[in-house]
Order: sequence, then C-alpha cells, then structure tokens
Amino acid sequence: MIEVKNLHKKYENIIAVNDVSFKVDKGRTFGLLGPNGAGKTTTIKLLCGIIKPDSGTVSLNGRTDPTLIDVRRSLGVVPQTLAIYEELSAEKNLRFIGRMYGLDSQILNSRIAECLEIAGLSKRKKEKVAKYSGGMKRRLNMVCSLLHEPSILLLDEPTVGVDPQSRNLIFNTIEKIKKQGRTIIYTTHYMEEAERLCDTVAILDHGKILDIDNVANLIKKHGGPSHIEAEFEEIISDIEKIKKYVDNTEIQFENNIIRFKTSRPMESLAKLNQSGLRFHSIKVQTANLEDVFLNLTGRRLRD
Amino acid sequence: MKKVFFLAAKDIRVLMSDRGNIFWVLGFPLIFAFFFGAIYSDAGDGPSGMKIAVVDEDNSSFSTSYISKLEESDALTVIHLERDQALEQVRKSKIAAAVIIKKGMGDGFEAIFNRDEPKIEIAADPSRKMESGYLQGLLAKAQFEALSGNFTDKNWMQDQVSQWREEIEEANDIDTKDANLYLDLFDSYDNFFNDINDQDLKMGFDGDILNFSQTNLSRESDGPLTPFQITFPQAILWGILGCAATFAISIVKERTSGTFQRLLIGPIGKAHILAGKGAACFITCSFIMCIQYIGAKLFFKMPVGNLSFFVLAYFCTIFCFVGLMMLISTLGRTEQSAGGAGWAIIMIMAMLGGGMMPLYFMPVWLRPFSNFSPVKWGIYALEGAIWRNFSLIEMSTPCLILLAIGLASFLLGVYNLHRQED
Ligand SMILES: Nc1ncnc2c1ncn2[C@@H]1O[C@H](COP(=O)(O)OP(=O)(O)O)[C@@H](O)[C@H]1O
Ligand SMILES: [Mg+2]
Repeated sequence: MIEVKNLHKKYENIIAVNDVSFKVDKGRTFGLLGPNGAGKTTTIKLLCGIIKPDSGTVSLNGRTDPTLIDVRRSLGVVPQTLAIYEELSAEKNLRFIGRMYGLDSQILNSRIAECLEIAGLSKRKKEKVAKYSGGMKRRLNMVCSLLHEPSILLLDEPTVGVDPQSRNLIFNTIEKIKKQGRTIIYTTHYMEEAERLCDTVAILDHGKILDIDNVANLIKKHGGPSHIEAEFEEIISDIEKIKKYVDNTEIQFENNIIRFKTSRPMESLAKLNQSGLRFHSIKVQTANLEDVFLNLTGRRLRD
Repeated sequence: MKKVFFLAAKDIRVLMSDRGNIFWVLGFPLIFAFFFGAIYSDAGDGPSGMKIAVVDEDNSSFSTSYISKLEESDALTVIHLERDQALEQVRKSKIAAAVIIKKGMGDGFEAIFNRDEPKIEIAADPSRKMESGYLQGLLAKAQFEALSGNFTDKNWMQDQVSQWREEIEEANDIDTKDANLYLDLFDSYDNFFNDINDQDLKMGFDGDILNFSQTNLSRESDGPLTPFQITFPQAILWGILGCAATFAISIVKERTSGTFQRLLIGPIGKAHILAGKGAACFITCSFIMCIQYIGAKLFFKMPVGNLSFFVLAYFCTIFCFVGLMMLISTLGRTEQSAGGAGWAIIMIMAMLGGGMMPLYFMPVWLRPFSNFSPVKWGIYALEGAIWRNFSLIEMSTPCLILLAIGLASFLLGVYNLHRQED
C-alpha cells in the first residue's frame, strides 16, 4: 500500500510538486498522467527517497522512511533515465544488481534467466548493452527493477522512445505483474497507456493533481460531449428539417455529412434516424483522457 | 562489506571495457617512467652507470683514493682521460661529465675545503642538469670517503699538524698569546698521535665520530643510484593520478547517466557506494603498482632501498589520491566539468609537488608551496623508501599527511553526496 499526503517540493523557483496526496491500495495500479514537466519524475523520486520533500509524508507498506534498507528491498523503481551499464552485458548488469540486493547465487541465476526471458533478451544476454536498440535497453532497464521481486513497483515513463513491439512487451509484462498482486505506480504522458493499464488515474499538471478517479469516471466528469459524424446517402436539401432531429444547435453541414456534439450519442442517433434519411456511415468519437486533460487545463497532453 | 567489493568489481569491469581508460591508467604512467627515465639517463649507457671521465692533474695519494672511491660507485662508469680529450667528449655528449681534479687537491685540509679556489671542477652538458645533480652528490660522497680514510691515517694527520705548526710559527700577524695557544694544541695532537696505536685510531674514528657524521652526510648526498629512482616515484604518482581521475570521471558519469540513481534506490548507503568506487580505484592502483614495480626491477634494474616502506608509501599515496578524487567527483555536475576540474587539480598538484620536474629544479620561492601538494608528499614518501633510506619515524611524516588528506577528502565527499539532491 502506498499513501502520500500533502507532498511539496520546490526547486529554486519552480514548484515541481504542489500539495500532492493520493493513496494506492495493495495490488492496484495507479497512473500519474501529465505532460512533460508536470512533476511525475519528482513525485517518483520523493516516493523512493532519492530526494526529500519540503513538506508532506510518504508511506510505503506503512513505513514512512523509504531510505531504510528493508523498505528499499521491497521497492522496485524503473527510472526514466536509463539506469544500466552500457559497458556491461545484460547478464552482467542483472548479476551486479542482484548482488546489490543480496540475492544468493542460486536464486539469482534463476531470476536472471527469468528476467532475460521476460525482456526477450535471452539470446543476446552476453552482448554489451551499448550495442542494443533503444527498445532493448528500455526492456532491460525495466527487468533490472523486477529482479528482486519488489512488492511495490514505481515505473517512470517506461515506454519513452521505444518501438511498438517493445512497448507491447512492456505492457504485457506490467499486466502480468499486476496479476501477481503487486502495487504499481505508473507515470506517463500517453493517455492510451493510462487507460489500458491503470485502475485509477491522477491528472497531474504543474505539480498539482487536478483530479483522481478511474478512467470512466474521469471521462464522465471532464470528458465533455461525444463527437458524431453522420454521412447520408443523398445530399441534404432541407437543413431546417434535420435541425429538428438534433438537440444541438451547433451543427455543421457539408454536402451529405453532418457533425455535432452530444453527451448522449446513442439517443441522439436514434432520434436522427427518425428523420427518414438513410445513413451511409456513422462515426461516434466518445471523449477520452486527452479531452479530460484539455477540459481541465485548456491544453493538450502533448504540445 | 561484500557489497563494496561487488561494486568495486563492477567498476573495474566497466573501466576496463574502455581502451582509453586502460591507456590513462596503465600505459601513460609506464610511458612516463620510461620516457623521462631515458631522458635523464645516458641513452647509450643504459640506466645503470653514468659515464664520466676523470682527469687527475694532482696525482697525489688523496686523488688516487678519491678516484678509486668514484670507481667503486655502481652509478658511475669512470674512464681516465686528459683534460682536452675529456672536455671534447663532454661536448660531443659521449660522456655525461668530466671531473677534473686540479693540482693541490691532496695538499690537505685547506685545499679540500677552500671554497674560493675549488680543486675539483665538473664539466657537464648544461642540458643534462639532472645528471650533474647526481654527480655532485656522488662526488661529495667519494670525497668524504677518501677524506675519512685520511683521518684514520696517522702519518697523514701528523703531516697536517706539522704543516699548521710551521704556518703559525711563520705568521707575523698573529698575537703571540694566540699563537702559543695553537702551538699547545698542536703539541697535544702530536702526543695523541704518537701514543695511540693505529688500530685504535681507526676504530675511534670509524666507530664513533666519523660514522656518525658520515650517516648524516650521506642522507643528504648519497643520492639516487640510477635516474629511474627519481623518475619512478613520479611515474607512480602519474599512474595513481591517472587512475584516480579516471575513477572520478566514472563516478560523475554514473551520476549523470542514471545508474547512480539505481544504486541510490538499492539497499546500500551512499558511503558504501563511494567506498566501492574507492576500493575499485585502490585495487586498480595496486595492480598498476605491481606492474610498475616488476617493470622497474626487470627493465630498469632499479634498486629499492626498503621494500616494505615502499609498499607502505605506495598505499598511503593511493589512499590519499583516491580520497581526493572521490571528493572531486562530488564537486562536478557534469562529466566534462568533473573531468576538467579533476585534471586541472591534478596538473596543479603535480606541478607544485614535483610530479613533472624534481623539486630541486624549482625556483626557491616556489618550493614552500609544494608542501600544499599531496604529490610532493607522495613522491617524498616513495623516495624515502627507494633511495633516501628513511627511518620509520621519517617515513611517518609524509605517510600520515597522505592518510589525513585522503580520509578528510573522502569524508567531505560523502558529506557532499548527502547534501546534494539529484
Ligand atoms: N533538479 C532539478 N532542479 C531544478 N528544477 C528541476 C529539477 N528536477 C526537475 N525540475 C523541474 O521540476 C519540474 C517537474 O519536473 P519533473 O518531475 O521531471 O517532470 P516530469 O517527470 O513530469 O516531466 C520541471 O519544471 C522541471 O524543470
Ligand atoms: Mg519525468
């Protein structure tokens, strides 16, 4: 279980983390979604005790000092900046880290083999990391933090700059870890990742949490209306007639296409169907976390 | 503690994977030792034995004994030549120096100690300062040895005394009271030399009086036996400096590349992490020491006065610079700045401390500043073991200074790491 209360962290003139509080129950996955500079990495660093908060408290499995050796043993952190030795092979990297965590050599050997398998690096385990692709390095960076089987895992943008294949592998791994009942915090600026992986998501901007909830609720609260685009078989001749069947007055016409927003897309379409016009195609775009962020901040997640 | 060694092993692996590092740590100091050793020694003659010519214009028993003392020295190869030939050979760099013993050197005390008109003239190539430095030491030593032979020679001493007696008696400008005082003294000398048997005289001087002053003197003038004894401590220092700087940079590299964060979130403390680095540096330096030592013994035939002191001096020096570099590594924010600062500090310490040139070539006003350079103390301790014949007490001064600097820097480094937030 992770609990964070009123965390504050200021760098010279920037408030990187501003009154952040949240709670993650055991076995749940918590997402921190925010653009670059939102304060995600700073929050992770505060959680694992690399930096100290100006005020506020952190509690990991009930322990309030993350720098204690036995708290650290139960903690796995996948840093945003690659934290692997380029000069060593994947295997040597894992072996070194395992030794730091005091794993005894038999367990270590089987864990190394497992982790290499998870990362899909078994075949190239003897090669120097410097020769790996960006995706392979990311994968190794992740499994290095899984080696000691931590009960709490903090992942800081683990998919930055990777190919789709590696990204999928990373997702699958995290989903597997979730099933093992580990508590996870996952930071990202990709809303798809938060939607796919996280039970609860906090929207973070300028160091402040704007809202915390599950994805569906966030969209319901802040996503705004769905976008409907309907294409008819014939060109619309009577615009005024159509307008009677659409609640929204801000309706766009373009030859045989109309576009409008609605908060209840199914009902709107059913009503439109009564107009007697025959549909050629319908596109319904429901709101997503991108819209949530846009509505909360007036900006997009990725500028 | 085990973790410190795992950390160290990892660091050595990382270090050795880079050829550039291997050069700075291993190649450079060896090249330094060889290059400067070769410059300072007579290239043709090899390191063991500086070739000099003696020109004996005195042909006295003293000059003969003096030359035989020179010939006994391992550091010198002595040939006999006429004055013109000898000077010509020096000009052509065929020999390192010509030692000309002028007429009158064997005449007695005055001749030997007369500063106004030296009876020994050294002609040497001015570009080979180093050698004439040794040479003077070796000449003084030979002179002293020859002289001590004379002191124990009853007849020679009696001759001296009667010569002085004549001079006093002939001198008009000395007050009679004073003159009588001297004559009384000479009388008692005469009695002394007449009564004592030869064996006792030898023992008396050899056993006490002379041996005492001889040991003191030889401290100053014995000097190194081969030029490599001077360049070797410098080479060792460069090896340690190169090694320490490489490690300092590797720490900063860790800090900037993110692996340091992984260490920080692991179940180890900051002091452990630094200690691991230090241990890696220490182990690497020790390895270099072995190579350097074997090289010096094998190729340069360098004598080491006291091996256990040598090892002691070495470890104190490594300890000092490892500590210093740990500190430097916590000062720089980027690899470049730490690397730059590291090398800059090294250069200044090396220049001040005699890492580039032996201290006695340094201007006098600059010499006191060398005390602030650990390089000086490192070289001093190593020299103490290699050719200065230091006692344990004498060794302890530089060694303790080195250890203190090392420890203080290490603690400061740990403190810095604690203070900084990355
Ligand atoms: N060491 C630091 N010194 C000064 N400012 C920092 C430091 N680390 C982060 N910041 C600032 O704090 C803010 C939050 O940074 P960060 O937590 O890295 O954001 P994110 O991980 O969400 O991209 C940014 O404005 C960043 O510039
Ligand atoms: Mg970040």
